[in-house]
Amino acid sequence: MDYLSDLWATNRSTVAFAMVNSLFALSTYVVLAAGFLSFSTVVFAAVGGFVGAQLVVKGVGLPFVFGAAAGGGLLISLLVAAVFLRLNSHWMALASLALVLITRVVTLNAPALTGGVNGLGVPLALPMDWLTGVLVLTVLAFYALHHSWFGVASRVLREDPSVAACMGVDLRQIQLIAFGISGIVGGIGGAAYAMLLQFISPDTFFLGIAFTMIAATVLGGSYHWFGPVVGAVVYTALPIVMQAFLPHLLQEVANGVVLLLIMIFLPRGLIDPRAVRLRRAAPAAAGVMKIRA
Amino acid sequence: MTPILELDRATKAFGGVTAVDALSFVAPRGQVTGLMGPNGAGKTTVINLISGLLHVDSGRIALNGTDVSAQKPHHIGALGLARTYQNVRLISGLTALEQVVAGSFLKRDTSMLASFLHTPAARHRMRAIREKALHLLDRVGMAHSADVLAETLSYGEQRRVEIARALGADPVLLLLDEPTAGMNPAESAEIGRLTHKLRDEGLSILMVEHNMKLVVDFCDSVIVMNFGRLIARGAPTECIRDPHVQEAYFGKQRHDADGLRAVG
Repeated sequence: MDYLSDLWATNRSTVAFAMVNSLFALSTYVVLAAGFLSFSTVVFAAVGGFVGAQLVVKGVGLPFVFGAAAGGGLLISLLVAAVFLRLNSHWMALASLALVLITRVVTLNAPALTGGVNGLGVPLALPMDWLTGVLVLTVLAFYALHHSWFGVASRVLREDPSVAACMGVDLRQIQLIAFGISGIVGGIGGAAYAMLLQFISPDTFFLGIAFTMIAATVLGGSYHWFGPVVGAVVYTALPIVMQAFLPHLLQEVANGVVLLLIMIFLPRGLIDPRAVRLRRAAPAAAGVMKIRA
Repeated sequence: MTPILELDRATKAFGGVTAVDALSFVAPRGQVTGLMGPNGAGKTTVINLISGLLHVDSGRIALNGTDVSAQKPHHIGALGLARTYQNVRLISGLTALEQVVAGSFLKRDTSMLASFLHTPAARHRMRAIREKALHLLDRVGMAHSADVLAETLSYGEQRRVEIARALGADPVLLLLDEPTAGMNPAESAEIGRLTHKLRDEGLSILMVEHNMKLVVDFCDSVIVMNFGRLIARGAPTECIRDPHVQEAYFGKQRHDADGLRAVG
């Protein structure tokens, strides 16, 4: 029992970071699954993070903190979508990166809202049960989305936009919904992140977190909602695990090598429903061959 | 009665090349209309103009009496147009049944919110759509492969799944872009018979086809184009004998009889 509680004590924060990264990865995934690689989750997280932090400072209850962060994320995501949906996929990736840079400048120069260079202390540690509850609800929502007409439409849209359009899918509508969901989840993730770190500054929502989001999503796989969750867990835990085996100098290199290996050998990510189906189909086909022979 | 499809001097140029040049024709309601022409005649451009993936530079296209020249593909789909593609375009990672369910998107009859919340009505509707999709797969002879990843099927089988997917939208006009490419004669005839069954149920069909035997056997009338222009129209056998058509397909010097022998 002691061993277990020790284990929990040492890994508690890793688990919490993995859960918040899952939220960020899911926010990135929903847009990627509608055909767009975008870093704009960073922006939604920044809005959710600063809105959440300000409300915590004012002593507002957690349900309202998360509600306002979600609302702020949604609002900014719809604004971003209104501009970005005019762009082609690869230009959107670049534009969203530019938006991340702009966000940092804006947060630096709005000290009244963000604390500017000094950042913002958050006088409330995020309770673990709240974080768990938020993640479970989000995952349930993604499960429902996967099996909804939105899920059907976005799978077709991602593979072949022309075919989707001829099927009657309003591409703009689906992409707008995807951005909206990304904004809500990104905003919630930002608020959770603020309370997890208990201190946020313009540098919190910058290139580092942008890389984490994309890497976790691509690593886990962007063809099923479970992929980003697995990706976030692996991506968060990998450095910790490496610590135990490797001298400090090699750790970063080893992280990079492991990620490279996964991307070379599993380019569609760790969770790939298509690969599962192909494997399932293979023995059946072999059976047919035997009968014919 | 208005024709199901009417092109009025439809023109489309890519740079200096006029792919479709003041093309006018009418596809009658409740018939199988063939669209023929040698390679590069502009057939696929015509199909893309009708489905809204491309837009005319000038002229007019009317579907079921509605001007769709400037409409987006999903609006044209909602007006009752469904199509297949010259090189089968099924969605990677989906089973045959899921392809047809996706093709029924326009018939979902469920709001995005209700679908997300999985309300009893939404689930009931989804079950009905799955059943209908299975029935459509049965119609094209693919029910046994409903749960198979569509990309593992043979080319001919994929074509049939794609037709079932197009039928999922309950179209009023079905565009088939070379539906029998890659099929053997028996499979091709099967597709021909399917078009007749669908026609007899009231569906209008416009079919781009190279297989002359199929055109003669199964099209009620044909439109022949070359270099983006209409060169002949009418009954299939007469069109094939038309000297302009012979010239377009076989060159100038050939005698009619040689040409006919060549088409088998």
